[in-house]
Amino acid sequence: MMIFIGADYTDLGLSPEELQNRMGKWFSWNDKMEKAGILRGGNALTPAIRRVVGANRTVTDLTSAEVKEIVGGYYIVETTDFDAVQKIAEDFPDYDLGGTVEIREIMVFDR
Amino acid sequence: MESKLIDHLFRYHSGKMVSVLTRIFGLAHLEIIEDAVQDTFIKASISWRTKQPDNPEAWLTQAAKNRVLDIFRKLNTEKKHLPNIAYGSNAIAINELFLDTEIEDAQLRMIFTACHPKLDPRDRISFALKTVSGFSIKEISSALLTKEDSIKKRLTRARKAIQKSQLKFQIPQGELLPQRLESVMEVLYLIFNEGFHSNKEETLIRKELCGEAMRLCKILLKNKHTRTPEAYALFALMCFHSARIEAKTNAKNELLDLKNQDRSQWHFPLIKLGHTMMEKAVDTPTFSCYHYEAAIAAEHLYARRFEDTNWDKILHWYECINAIQPMPTHLLTMAVVCLQNKDAKKSKTYLDQIKPDDFAQRAYLYYGTLSDYHAATNNFHEAIKHIDNAINVVNNKFEKSYLKKKKSKLISTKN
Repeated sequence: MMIFIGADYTDLGLSPEELQNRMGKWFSWNDKMEKAGILRGGNALTPAIRRVVGANRTVTDLTSAEVKEIVGGYYIVETTDFDAVQKIAEDFPDYDLGGTVEIREIMVFDR
Repeated sequence: MESKLIDHLFRYHSGKMVSVLTRIFGLAHLEIIEDAVQDTFIKASISWRTKQPDNPEAWLTQAAKNRVLDIFRKLNTEKKHLPNIAYGSNAIAINELFLDTEIEDAQLRMIFTACHPKLDPRDRISFALKTVSGFSIKEISSALLTKEDSIKKRLTRARKAIQKSQLKFQIPQGELLPQRLESVMEVLYLIFNEGFHSNKEETLIRKELCGEAMRLCKILLKNKHTRTPEAYALFALMCFHSARIEAKTNAKNELLDLKNQDRSQWHFPLIKLGHTMMEKAVDTPTFSCYHYEAAIAAEHLYARRFEDTNWDKILHWYECINAIQPMPTHLLTMAVVCLQNKDAKKSKTYLDQIKPDDFAQRAYLYYGTLSDYHAATNNFHEAIKHIDNAINVVNNKFEKSYLKKKKSKLISTKN
């Protein structure tokens, strides 16, 4: 599973043209994974986050103000190992906006 | 989805949507509208990542319509003035405003608003690029070689002028139209020139400027009230110039002059389109500057080699321009043309009518031409004197080194 953390497009003031270019990069990344037959799903997430923290169950209502903490979406891919996903993640379009990709393995339990 | 199919989709849709929404809500709500359109694109760019729509244009239009209702609610809660649309027939009225012909009409209104005489002439281009063409502040600033802060100020000033003068969002009619149309064409001409006459960085954006100017000019040609011979001539002029745009620079993005351009790179379909436009443009008893400029641009295209250029004809067209719009630069250009035509005597008659002060910071052009004249009459002492004058007053380092090269050539010819 690749989790995308970073810039929220709403805050960046991108022009229509820039947004479209960026979208084009996402398209081609998506297509690449589909062609490789490894894509198993994914979703975009809205910037609103609600966090419940600690013994007091403090609720924090983070929105796009804390740009660094936004989880923008995720893709689930099926590959042989971590390295293969890492290679795929090199094409993530938003590094130049300060974005991060976290790769986590989904644990499969033996029956 | 083929990414080529949606080439510039967002940029073009941005202008359309801002224009239509402004028609619904009025110019007073321009900022809300621009934000709303931006939101729509963000939404599209995220939701299309995994599921691309079959018809992106329809998707965006639908999203824009939905935003209309959002804005209604927003304005209602903020208790601002509600748009002048009766509630019961809202849906029908809104749908009709999104018809193709109505969208074009709205865009034309926006162009006329952006070029309104109540707006500071310096602010018009920025404002048009923002609202009609969907450029970001960053893109406008690199396209016009101006600081982002200044662009922001210009946009704010334009919006304030609109509010203060309570401009109407409409295409002027009757006697007002020709005058207002003139200011629109001037802005389109300037946008095109910004794109055409530069080899600075961000070349892509600069070509975009030329494309935008042409797109906007085409909108003028689609409306029967704004489809004038001058507008056709302006479009022809843009076609002729654009046909040469790829040949203007080499692979290293260095500027090539007419003499050194690879003429096989000229774009034939644009030349042809230019001619078709020109045929429509000349259906009038009086010609405008755009007519003559187009004629000059066409004359250059007729020549298969630089040596074949018909300088007599070009000189004639410049005389025509100078007759209706006298300017020192025209006289200077005519002097240059005469030198190309090996007619130094005639060149001098033009040079005698102008002085360096006429050109302010670009006085080096005057001195450079004067130097060329003296070189052509074998008066190398004077030629070197004037090229020195030119070197002294020029600011741009590329042009300075060009002039210095010229000087050393003069010295070696003299000896």
